[in-house]
Amino acid sequence: MQSMAETERFDVVIVGGGHAGTEAALAAARSGARTLLLTQNIETLGQMSCNPAIGGIGKSHLVKEVDAMGGAMAKAADSAGIHFRTLNARKGPAVRATRAQADRALYRQAIRSQVDNQQNLVLFQGTVEDLVVDGERVTGVVTQMGLTFRAASVVLTVGTFLGGVIHVGFDKQQGGRAGDAPSNRLAQRLRELPFKVDRLKTGTPPRIDGKTVDFSGLEAQPGDEPRPVMSFLGAPSDHPRQVSCHITHTSERTHDIIRGGLDRSPLFSGEIEGIGPRYCPSIEDKVVRFADKTSHQIFIEPEGLGTRELYPNGISTSLPYDVQIDLVRSIKGFERAHITRPGYAIEYDFFEPRDLRPTLETKHLAGLFFAGQINGTTGYEEAAAQGLVAGINAARQARSLEPWSPRRDEAYIGVLIDDLITLGTREPYRMFTSRAEYRLVLRQDNADRRLTPVGRELGLVDDVRWGRFSDKLERIESRRVALQHHLCRPGDAAVEALLSKPLSREHHLADLLKRPEVHIESLLSAVGLDWEDAVANEQVEIDFKYAGYIARQQEEIDRTRSRSEQVIPADTDFGAIKGLSNEVRQKLVQVEPTTIGQASRIPGMTPAAISLLLVHLKRGQQRKTA
Amino acid sequence: MSRGETIVAVATPPGKGGIGVVRVSGPATPDIGRALLGSLPQPRYARYADFRGADGQIIDTGLALFFKAPRSFTGEDVLELHGHGGPVVLDMLVEAVLDQGARLARPGEFSERAFLNDKIDLSQAEAIADLIDSVSREAVRGALRSMQGAFSERVGEISEAVLNLRIFVEAAIDFPEEEIDFLADDRVTASIEDIATRLDHIVGEAGQGALLREGFTLAIVGRPNAGKSSIMNCLTGADSSIVTAVPGTTRDVVREVIQIEGMPIRVVDTAGIRVSSDEIEVEGIRRAIGEAQRADQVLVVVDLSEHVGDWRAVVADVLNQLERGDICTVVLNKVDLVQTPDLELSSNVIAVSARTGEGMDLLRKRLASVAGLSDNVEGLYLARRRHLDALERAGRAVSEGRRQLAASGAGELLAEELRQCHQALCEITGEVTSDDLLGKIFSSFCIGK
Repeated sequence: MQSMAETERFDVVIVGGGHAGTEAALAAARSGARTLLLTQNIETLGQMSCNPAIGGIGKSHLVKEVDAMGGAMAKAADSAGIHFRTLNARKGPAVRATRAQADRALYRQAIRSQVDNQQNLVLFQGTVEDLVVDGERVTGVVTQMGLTFRAASVVLTVGTFLGGVIHVGFDKQQGGRAGDAPSNRLAQRLRELPFKVDRLKTGTPPRIDGKTVDFSGLEAQPGDEPRPVMSFLGAPSDHPRQVSCHITHTSERTHDIIRGGLDRSPLFSGEIEGIGPRYCPSIEDKVVRFADKTSHQIFIEPEGLGTRELYPNGISTSLPYDVQIDLVRSIKGFERAHITRPGYAIEYDFFEPRDLRPTLETKHLAGLFFAGQINGTTGYEEAAAQGLVAGINAARQARSLEPWSPRRDEAYIGVLIDDLITLGTREPYRMFTSRAEYRLVLRQDNADRRLTPVGRELGLVDDVRWGRFSDKLERIESRRVALQHHLCRPGDAAVEALLSKPLSREHHLADLLKRPEVHIESLLSAVGLDWEDAVANEQVEIDFKYAGYIARQQEEIDRTRSRSEQVIPADTDFGAIKGLSNEVRQKLVQVEPTTIGQASRIPGMTPAAISLLLVHLKRGQQRKTA
Repeated sequence: MSRGETIVAVATPPGKGGIGVVRVSGPATPDIGRALLGSLPQPRYARYADFRGADGQIIDTGLALFFKAPRSFTGEDVLELHGHGGPVVLDMLVEAVLDQGARLARPGEFSERAFLNDKIDLSQAEAIADLIDSVSREAVRGALRSMQGAFSERVGEISEAVLNLRIFVEAAIDFPEEEIDFLADDRVTASIEDIATRLDHIVGEAGQGALLREGFTLAIVGRPNAGKSSIMNCLTGADSSIVTAVPGTTRDVVREVIQIEGMPIRVVDTAGIRVSSDEIEVEGIRRAIGEAQRADQVLVVVDLSEHVGDWRAVVADVLNQLERGDICTVVLNKVDLVQTPDLELSSNVIAVSARTGEGMDLLRKRLASVAGLSDNVEGLYLARRRHLDALERAGRAVSEGRRQLAASGAGELLAEELRQCHQALCEITGEVTSDDLLGKIFSSFCIGK
């Protein structure tokens, strides 16, 4: 390496400025570590490379958890959101979710401003080409210019930039994202280390010039009123001007055009080997696999307030450009549409996430952490969640503090990481609420009650957030007590009108609130209580309505907690456990579970196998003390 | 180490002994003791007491012993109920403990807890590991026995129906913008009704004894006039089958219940298997094959006086028609008529004479062994209790889900109850993960915004 220049030493170096990288850098710096964020291009910090939206089912749960620990994503979404909706509004609170369409430029600005204003955090523009390794420990990174940055820990968040190949028809070019160069030297370097590498694929639709779209016949979808917010500290007044999305559909002719272009599809010709997400197939995949469907829905999402560019969500494709033009113009409203950027598929490297610890530190190289798409996930929210955990732990390790990672019953972040490190993934991993067995406890509305106290303990939550949170808790508690003591008597006309039947005996308000048809705001007004703060009111209502289920899930959690949290020592020789089938033994060797709970979630593990593992551990422990 | 769950099992070997012991271990033990006995016995002192079920009815009367943690076999609070044995009474006692919130112990779990709580020293670790290994294998076999036949098929079908329903419910929750909101759909309501009815039905039947108390089924098959009915009569001690020297006398299926070591064994005598032109006999043979295919064990009877040289070929021929070589015992009958039988006998080939009674003791021992009575393992009763317990939990969950959907249209609570229901059924039919469920959703619906 020529003219290697040593620079100052940091606690933590973050490589990559996407959603994982910025969140990791902010978390590390917030918790007090001297942090450097290295990115290829400072202008694209916080860039949304795919669809211009934050949140959604399962995803807003992650965003609000990151927010509860002082993270950036939710606040940025509130500053940049131009269309907000509450999904599953009519279903129960556990599965309700928030989604915001975001103005890309405003979003980047919001993230940039948080990064610029964060103490302990510095930026540097440069392409990382190598890691500095000392024995089995990473001690820094080297950039293209030959600069060496030394650090106690390094977080890699390089997204799809490792060995990225972009496909449009049979045209292939190397790239990390349309318009950006891939990180091939680093990919090569990592492939030399003992990491298991595989390929995944994802795609985007062609973007369209809004001036050339005829909206007159299309269904408009305005945002929701009252307008939800993403951050626990957010308010609708933070939001910029709001706009509508639109809905259109593909036609039979669209499908004919697609079928006619399949012979030039890199997806169907075998050109693309990486596995794409099953829940986000390309339009050609949908037309082939669901041949009997004559039409598919397309959400037309605005890219921002300052541009007319549109993102047609639902027609991600890697068909050749000429086919893309024909298929777009066969769609209602798009008859004269102009494509501003063709759709493309991108194949990229990801690393076997079962090689990670619950802190997202790699097992092969101490001090090296991975977060985001590099671990086989997809989505800004999944990336941000991992960035938070990697950033926290990189900082804690640099300062010799105990690691932290949430359990499955504490957070969707815990579900995400446990799934990745225990089960691995074959497709880009996306969060869904059905992945969380404790779904009724892990709601987006109580993410702060679950995680803000932990965040405070870890030094991530500032005084402003902590003050707001403490006030909210107090209001919830005083409401809870009042509702349990306030009595309604038979003959109370307003209450009986609300219930549309007479009261047979005295009831506490709390008992009435448990009835599914009774809602807190109408009950409060019936008994003349004027409690402001709808957020606190909602929490009390959910606490009472869900009480039975919450108690049951809590009982389930507590019953198995002592056992599932039992730690498996790092030096355990899983190959030496007697009585296990070869298949189970191999899986244990591959995953190297760190707790009994994690071991029990490995597919194919039986209760008997867990018993044998426990006996083996006990034997080791007795030998040591003997 | 503190353990959350309280476990229960029958601690004495299955079958009819002088006493039967039900053992309970874990933190809920004192509460369970008070519920069954009225009050908790003084630790380490035997007390004569009535054992009562949740309805207050006396199930049995016997000695109760309470051991306070850590001074017990497992190192946890332990309760032992010494009753009168007998599989049915013991099963009812276990059920009463389950009603109080315990769960059935896994095979070897008491010893495992004892070891993990330092009640057994290191030198025995190997033995504990072996025990867990071997008894879990046996339990799998026991569970398979309990699962054979129509019961298993029906549980599998219900589990499939629950999975299909969950696909709709979970898809509606996770993909609300995909125009697949089925929660308000009549088909969802109808499917819940259907599952609830089928679970009610299967639990009801099992409760009446059809499932739980029928015990082990033994089918007797062989060529005509091999002496199947004589063997059956020998085992039952009654002339329930008509015995003549005319081949093909048993034209239908004859059923009897015999007791071996207190365990009821259902014996099914069948028509001889041969090529026949007699319509009634053909039907009898068809039924014989059906019975044999459903049975827990098949006795293949061969007339040794006719086939001293080629009995293996005869057995192979019969088994070929049954396709059940895995669970058979070969009985070489009429050994008294053969001069110098030079036979290679093994544990599953037994020579007897139904006429003189020679070898019949050996045959009874063999039956006791295959019915799981002589091994120190989980018997058929416990395996079935496990299944019944799972079915009951599944039934309760689906009823509650139906109530939640009706009361508040609460899709997520219905989903939670269906998850519990499915989990209980999967204890019988095998694991289904959330990723399997998502996979089914993606292959059933066109998802993809």
